[in-house]
Amino acid sequence: MSADQASQHDGNEKWELRLYTAGQTPKSVAALANLKRVCEEHLAGNYSIEVIDLMKNPRLAKEDEIIAIPTLVRKIPAPLRKIIGDLSNTERALVGLQLRPRT
Amino acid sequence: MNRTADPARLDAEITALRQRLEEAEDMRRAITSGEVDAFVVGQGGDNQRVLLLAGAYQRYRQVVERMQQGAVTVSVSGDMLFANQRFSDMLGVPISKLFAAPLEAYVTAQDRARLSSFLLVAARNSAVEVTFVQEDGKQLRARVALASFSDGYLTLLITDLEPLRRLGAACEQIAAARGAIDALGRTAGLDAAGRKAAETLGADLARICAQLDSLLEGASAVASHLPSESPSPLRQ
Repeated sequence: MSADQASQHDGNEKWELRLYTAGQTPKSVAALANLKRVCEEHLAGNYSIEVIDLMKNPRLAKEDEIIAIPTLVRKIPAPLRKIIGDLSNTERALVGLQLRPRT
Repeated sequence: MNRTADPARLDAEITALRQRLEEAEDMRRAITSGEVDAFVVGQGGDNQRVLLLAGAYQRYRQVVERMQQGAVTVSVSGDMLFANQRFSDMLGVPISKLFAAPLEAYVTAQDRARLSSFLLVAARNSAVEVTFVQEDGKQLRARVALASFSDGYLTLLITDLEPLRRLGAACEQIAAARGAIDALGRTAGLDAAGRKAAETLGADLARICAQLDSLLEGASAVASHLPSESPSPLRQ
Protein backbone atom coordinates (compact mmCIF):
# COMPACT_ATOMS: atom_id res chain seq x y z
CA MET A 1 0.00 0.00 0.00
CA SER A 2 1.42 3.39 -0.92
CA ALA A 3 1.59 6.35 1.42
CA ASP A 4 -1.08 8.05 -0.63
CA GLN A 5 -3.44 5.14 -0.37
CA ALA A 6 -2.75 4.82 3.34
CA SER A 7 -3.76 8.40 3.98
CA GLN A 8 -7.20 8.19 2.37
CA HIS A 9 -9.85 9.43 4.75
CA ASP A 10 -11.30 6.53 6.70
CA GLY A 11 -14.16 8.61 8.13
CA ASN A 12 -13.16 8.15 11.78
CA GLU A 13 -9.86 9.91 12.25
CA LYS A 14 -10.14 13.58 13.14
CA TRP A 15 -8.37 15.73 10.60
CA GLU A 16 -5.98 18.38 11.83
CA LEU A 17 -5.42 21.17 9.37
CA ARG A 18 -3.26 24.21 9.68
CA LEU A 19 -3.75 27.26 7.47
CA TYR A 20 -0.95 29.79 7.22
CA THR A 21 -2.26 33.28 6.43
CA ALA A 22 -0.90 36.80 6.11
CA GLY A 23 -3.36 38.84 8.14
CA GLN A 24 -6.54 39.51 6.22
CA THR A 25 -5.24 39.70 2.69
CA PRO A 26 -7.84 38.77 0.06
CA LYS A 27 -6.18 35.41 -0.67
CA SER A 28 -5.85 34.53 3.01
CA VAL A 29 -9.50 35.33 3.68
CA ALA A 30 -10.57 33.42 0.56
CA ALA A 31 -8.48 30.42 1.56
CA LEU A 32 -10.08 30.24 5.00
CA ALA A 33 -13.59 30.56 3.58
CA ASN A 34 -12.91 27.92 0.91
CA LEU A 35 -11.31 25.58 3.43
CA LYS A 36 -14.27 25.80 5.81
CA ARG A 37 -16.66 25.08 2.96
CA VAL A 38 -14.66 22.06 1.73
CA CYS A 39 -14.31 20.68 5.25
CA GLU A 40 -18.00 21.04 6.04
CA GLU A 41 -18.94 19.32 2.80
CA HIS A 42 -16.42 16.49 2.91
CA LEU A 43 -15.33 16.00 6.52
CA ALA A 44 -18.67 16.62 8.24
CA GLY A 45 -17.37 18.36 11.35
CA ASN A 46 -14.65 15.78 11.88
CA TYR A 47 -11.82 18.26 11.58
CA SER A 48 -10.04 21.13 13.28
CA ILE A 49 -8.52 24.14 11.59
CA GLU A 50 -5.67 26.05 13.17
CA VAL A 51 -5.07 29.43 11.56
CA ILE A 52 -1.57 30.82 11.90
CA ASP A 53 -1.18 34.48 11.02
CA LEU A 54 2.39 34.93 9.84
CA MET A 55 2.01 38.71 9.83
CA LYS A 56 1.92 38.49 13.61
CA ASN A 57 4.68 35.93 13.96
CA PRO A 58 6.70 35.20 10.79
CA ARG A 59 9.00 32.85 12.70
CA LEU A 60 6.24 30.25 12.79
CA ALA A 61 6.78 29.74 9.06
CA LYS A 62 9.88 27.74 9.83
CA GLU A 63 8.14 24.71 11.32
CA ASP A 64 6.38 23.77 8.08
CA GLU A 65 8.85 25.51 5.75
CA ILE A 66 6.23 27.93 4.46
CA ILE A 67 7.26 30.17 1.58
CA ALA A 68 4.05 31.28 -0.15
CA ILE A 69 0.88 32.41 1.61
CA PRO A 70 -1.78 31.15 1.98
CA THR A 71 -0.64 27.57 2.46
CA LEU A 72 -2.69 24.77 3.95
CA VAL A 73 -0.92 21.98 5.80
CA ARG A 74 -2.62 18.70 6.50
CA LYS A 75 -1.02 17.51 9.76
CA ILE A 76 -3.30 14.54 10.37
CA PRO A 77 -3.86 12.11 8.77
CA ALA A 78 -0.25 11.45 7.88
CA PRO A 79 1.64 11.94 5.71
CA LEU A 80 1.91 15.69 5.95
CA ARG A 81 0.58 17.42 2.84
CA LYS A 82 0.82 21.03 1.71
CA ILE A 83 -1.56 22.84 -0.59
CA ILE A 84 -0.46 26.25 -1.73
CA GLY A 85 -2.95 28.92 -2.77
CA ASP A 86 -6.41 30.21 -1.90
CA LEU A 87 -8.16 26.83 -2.47
CA SER A 88 -10.48 28.46 -4.99
CA ASN A 89 -10.21 25.38 -7.19
CA THR A 90 -12.22 22.91 -5.14
CA GLU A 91 -11.26 19.92 -7.26
CA ARG A 92 -7.57 20.64 -6.81
CA ALA A 93 -8.06 21.22 -3.07
CA LEU A 94 -9.80 17.86 -2.71
CA VAL A 95 -7.03 16.08 -4.63
CA GLY A 96 -4.41 17.91 -2.56
CA LEU A 97 -6.09 16.83 0.66
CA GLN A 98 -6.42 13.33 -0.82
CA LEU A 99 -10.15 13.42 -0.35
CA ARG A 100 -10.40 12.63 -4.04
CA PRO A 101 -8.01 10.45 -6.08
CA ARG A 102 -5.75 12.11 -8.59
CA THR A 103 -7.10 11.60 -12.11
CA MET B 1 28.78 4.67 -0.37
CA ASN B 2 26.63 2.62 -2.66
CA ARG B 3 23.19 4.23 -2.31
CA THR B 4 21.54 1.96 -4.83
CA ALA B 5 22.27 -1.13 -2.76
CA ASP B 6 19.23 -0.54 -0.53
CA PRO B 7 15.99 -0.61 -2.55
CA ALA B 8 13.84 0.41 0.43
CA ARG B 9 15.96 3.47 1.06
CA LEU B 10 15.90 4.30 -2.63
CA ASP B 11 12.12 4.07 -2.63
CA ALA B 12 11.91 6.40 0.35
CA GLU B 13 14.19 8.90 -1.35
CA ILE B 14 12.18 8.76 -4.54
CA THR B 15 8.95 9.27 -2.58
CA ALA B 16 10.41 12.26 -0.73
CA LEU B 17 11.78 13.76 -3.93
CA ARG B 18 8.48 13.22 -5.69
CA GLN B 19 6.65 15.03 -2.89
CA ARG B 20 9.07 17.95 -3.01
CA LEU B 21 8.68 18.11 -6.77
CA GLU B 22 4.89 18.14 -6.42
CA GLU B 23 5.11 20.93 -3.85
CA ALA B 24 7.40 22.95 -6.09
CA GLU B 25 5.05 22.43 -9.03
CA ASP B 26 2.07 23.35 -6.84
CA MET B 27 3.81 26.54 -5.76
CA ARG B 28 4.64 27.46 -9.36
CA ARG B 29 1.02 26.89 -10.33
CA ALA B 30 -0.33 28.87 -7.36
CA ILE B 31 1.97 31.81 -8.09
CA THR B 32 1.33 31.95 -11.81
CA SER B 33 -2.43 31.66 -11.33
CA GLY B 34 -2.45 34.44 -8.72
CA GLU B 35 -3.59 32.29 -5.79
CA VAL B 36 -1.05 33.67 -3.34
CA ASP B 37 -0.53 37.26 -2.24
CA ALA B 38 2.30 37.03 0.27
CA PHE B 39 5.69 35.38 0.73
CA VAL B 40 7.91 34.57 3.65
CA VAL B 41 11.44 35.83 3.11
CA GLY B 42 14.61 35.78 5.22
CA GLN B 43 16.86 33.11 6.60
CA GLY B 44 14.92 31.68 9.52
CA GLY B 45 14.36 32.96 13.06
CA ASP B 46 14.19 36.69 13.62
CA ASN B 47 15.16 37.46 10.03
CA GLN B 48 11.98 36.00 8.61
CA ARG B 49 9.29 38.43 7.53
CA VAL B 50 6.21 38.49 5.35
CA LEU B 51 6.18 40.43 2.10
CA LEU B 52 2.77 41.25 0.67
CA LEU B 53 2.18 41.55 -3.05
CA ALA B 54 0.75 44.85 -4.23
CA GLY B 55 -2.77 43.48 -4.70
CA ALA B 56 -2.95 42.49 -1.05
CA TYR B 57 -2.86 46.15 -0.06
CA GLN B 58 -5.44 47.34 -2.53
CA ARG B 59 -8.62 47.11 -0.46
CA TYR B 60 -6.91 48.53 2.60
CA ARG B 61 -5.61 51.42 0.52
CA GLN B 62 -9.10 52.07 -0.82
CA VAL B 63 -10.35 52.47 2.75
CA VAL B 64 -7.47 54.74 3.68
CA GLU B 65 -7.93 56.83 0.53
CA ARG B 66 -11.60 57.39 1.23
CA MET B 67 -11.46 58.04 4.96
CA GLN B 68 -12.19 61.49 6.29
CA GLN B 69 -9.08 61.67 8.42
CA GLY B 70 -5.70 62.52 7.00
CA ALA B 71 -3.24 59.64 7.01
CA VAL B 72 0.47 59.88 6.39
CA THR B 73 3.40 57.51 6.80
CA VAL B 74 6.70 59.13 7.70
CA SER B 75 10.20 58.02 8.62
CA VAL B 76 11.42 58.91 12.10
CA SER B 77 13.23 61.82 10.51
CA GLY B 78 9.87 63.04 9.18
CA ASP B 79 10.10 62.35 5.45
CA MET B 80 6.74 61.41 3.99
CA LEU B 81 6.48 58.01 2.36
CA PHE B 82 2.73 57.96 1.80
CA ALA B 83 -0.12 60.41 2.23
CA ASN B 84 -3.81 59.89 1.55
CA GLN B 85 -6.06 62.19 -0.45
CA ARG B 86 -7.63 63.74 2.64
CA PHE B 87 -4.26 64.88 3.98
CA SER B 88 -3.38 66.24 0.56
CA ASP B 89 -6.67 68.19 0.59
CA MET B 90 -6.04 69.47 4.12
CA LEU B 91 -2.77 71.00 2.99
CA GLY B 92 -3.95 71.94 -0.48
CA VAL B 93 -0.88 70.22 -1.89
CA PRO B 94 -0.91 67.45 -4.55
CA ILE B 95 0.01 64.00 -3.21
CA SER B 96 2.87 63.76 -5.70
CA LYS B 97 4.46 66.82 -4.12
CA LEU B 98 4.18 65.38 -0.61
CA PHE B 99 6.05 62.19 -1.50
CA ALA B 100 9.52 62.21 0.14
CA ALA B 101 8.98 65.78 1.39
CA PRO B 102 9.59 66.54 5.08
CA LEU B 103 6.36 66.74 7.10
CA GLU B 104 7.88 69.57 9.12
CA ALA B 105 7.93 71.76 6.03
CA TYR B 106 4.13 72.01 6.34
CA VAL B 107 4.11 72.86 10.04
CA THR B 108 4.51 76.32 11.55
CA ALA B 109 8.03 77.16 12.70
CA GLN B 110 7.00 77.24 16.36
CA ASP B 111 5.52 73.71 16.20
CA ARG B 112 8.37 72.01 14.33
CA ALA B 113 10.43 71.10 17.38
CA ARG B 114 7.36 69.61 19.09
CA LEU B 115 6.55 67.55 16.04
CA SER B 116 10.14 66.32 15.71
CA SER B 117 10.21 65.26 19.35
CA PHE B 118 6.88 63.52 18.93
CA LEU B 119 8.14 61.55 15.92
CA LEU B 120 11.20 60.44 17.84
CA VAL B 121 9.56 59.30 21.05
CA ALA B 122 5.87 58.88 20.26
CA ALA B 123 4.22 55.86 21.76
CA ARG B 124 1.29 54.21 20.11
CA ASN B 125 -1.98 56.01 20.91
CA SER B 126 -0.21 59.22 21.82
CA ALA B 127 -1.03 62.48 20.07
CA VAL B 128 0.16 66.03 19.67
CA GLU B 129 -1.59 69.14 18.38
CA VAL B 130 0.23 71.19 15.78
CA THR B 131 -0.60 73.91 13.28
CA PHE B 132 -0.11 73.07 9.63
CA VAL B 133 0.51 75.68 6.99
CA GLN B 134 -1.50 75.21 3.83
CA GLU B 135 -0.19 75.86 0.36
CA ASP B 136 -1.93 79.24 0.28
CA GLY B 137 -0.47 80.24 3.64
CA LYS B 138 -3.62 79.60 5.71
CA GLN B 139 -3.13 77.74 8.95
CA LEU B 140 -4.90 74.61 10.07
CA ARG B 141 -4.87 73.35 13.64
CA ALA B 142 -4.83 69.56 13.73
CA ARG B 143 -4.25 66.66 16.04
CA VAL B 144 -1.48 64.27 14.97
CA ALA B 145 -1.88 60.81 16.46
CA LEU B 146 0.42 57.84 16.11
CA ALA B 147 -1.51 54.88 14.70
CA SER B 148 1.36 52.45 14.24
CA PHE B 149 5.12 52.17 14.16
CA SER B 150 7.03 49.48 12.31
CA ASP B 151 10.22 49.06 10.31
CA GLY B 152 11.30 52.60 11.19
CA TYR B 153 8.16 54.21 9.81
CA LEU B 154 5.31 55.86 11.66
CA THR B 155 1.75 55.99 10.42
CA LEU B 156 0.02 59.13 11.63
CA LEU B 157 -3.65 60.09 11.63
CA ILE B 158 -4.29 63.79 11.16
CA THR B 159 -7.57 65.28 12.37
CA ASP B 160 -8.61 68.79 11.39
CA LEU B 161 -9.73 70.50 14.62
CA GLU B 162 -11.43 73.44 12.88
CA PRO B 163 -14.90 71.83 12.70
CA LEU B 164 -14.67 71.10 16.42
CA ARG B 165 -13.60 74.66 17.13
CA ARG B 166 -16.57 75.99 15.15
CA LEU B 167 -18.93 73.66 16.97
CA GLY B 168 -17.54 74.83 20.29
CA ALA B 169 -17.99 78.47 19.27
CA ALA B 170 -21.62 77.77 18.30
CA CYS B 171 -22.20 76.20 21.71
CA GLU B 172 -20.83 79.28 23.42
CA GLN B 173 -23.03 81.59 21.35
CA ILE B 174 -26.14 79.62 22.17
CA ALA B 175 -25.21 79.51 25.85
CA ALA B 176 -24.81 83.30 25.79
CA ALA B 177 -28.19 83.76 24.06
CA ARG B 178 -29.79 81.53 26.65
CA GLY B 179 -28.31 83.63 29.43
CA ALA B 180 -29.67 86.79 27.81
CA ILE B 181 -33.15 85.30 27.49
CA ASP B 182 -33.10 84.11 31.10
CA ALA B 183 -32.18 87.63 32.13
CA LEU B 184 -34.96 89.01 29.96
CA GLY B 185 -37.45 86.68 31.62
CA ARG B 186 -36.52 88.15 35.00
CA THR B 187 -36.94 91.71 33.82
CA ALA B 188 -39.44 93.66 35.94
CA GLY B 189 -42.49 94.83 34.05
CA LEU B 190 -42.56 91.91 31.62
CA ASP B 191 -46.09 90.60 31.42
CA ALA B 192 -46.99 86.97 32.07
CA ALA B 193 -47.12 86.09 28.39
CA GLY B 194 -43.66 87.59 27.85
CA ARG B 195 -42.22 85.73 30.83
CA LYS B 196 -43.79 82.49 29.60
CA ALA B 197 -42.33 83.01 26.11
CA ALA B 198 -38.87 83.75 27.57
CA GLU B 199 -39.13 80.68 29.76
CA THR B 200 -40.09 78.46 26.82
CA LEU B 201 -37.34 79.88 24.63
CA GLY B 202 -34.82 79.43 27.45
CA ALA B 203 -35.88 75.80 27.88
CA ASP B 204 -35.57 75.20 24.13
CA LEU B 205 -32.10 76.71 24.09
CA ALA B 206 -31.11 74.60 27.10
CA ARG B 207 -32.13 71.49 25.15
CA ILE B 208 -30.18 72.64 22.10
CA CYS B 209 -27.17 73.35 24.32
CA ALA B 210 -27.34 69.85 25.80
CA GLN B 211 -27.59 68.28 22.35
CA LEU B 212 -24.68 70.34 21.04
CA ASP B 213 -22.61 69.43 24.09
CA SER B 214 -23.34 65.78 23.44
CA LEU B 215 -22.46 66.22 19.76
CA LEU B 216 -19.26 67.99 20.71
CA GLU B 217 -18.40 65.22 23.12
CA GLY B 218 -18.90 62.59 20.42
CA ALA B 219 -17.06 64.57 17.77
CA SER B 220 -14.09 65.08 20.08
CA ALA B 221 -13.96 61.38 20.81
CA VAL B 222 -14.10 60.53 17.11
CA ALA B 223 -11.50 63.16 16.27
CA SER B 224 -9.07 61.60 18.65
CA HIS B 225 -10.05 58.24 19.93
CA LEU B 226 -6.67 58.87 21.45
CA PRO B 227 -5.72 60.76 24.57
CA SER B 228 -5.03 64.39 23.89
CA GLU B 229 -1.81 65.93 25.22
CA SER B 230 -3.93 68.70 26.72
CA PRO B 231 -7.63 69.40 27.20
CA SER B 232 -9.39 70.40 24.02
CA PRO B 233 -9.64 74.17 23.64
CA LEU B 234 -13.38 73.65 23.37
CA ARG B 235 -13.56 72.35 26.90
CA GLN B 236 -11.53 75.12 28.45
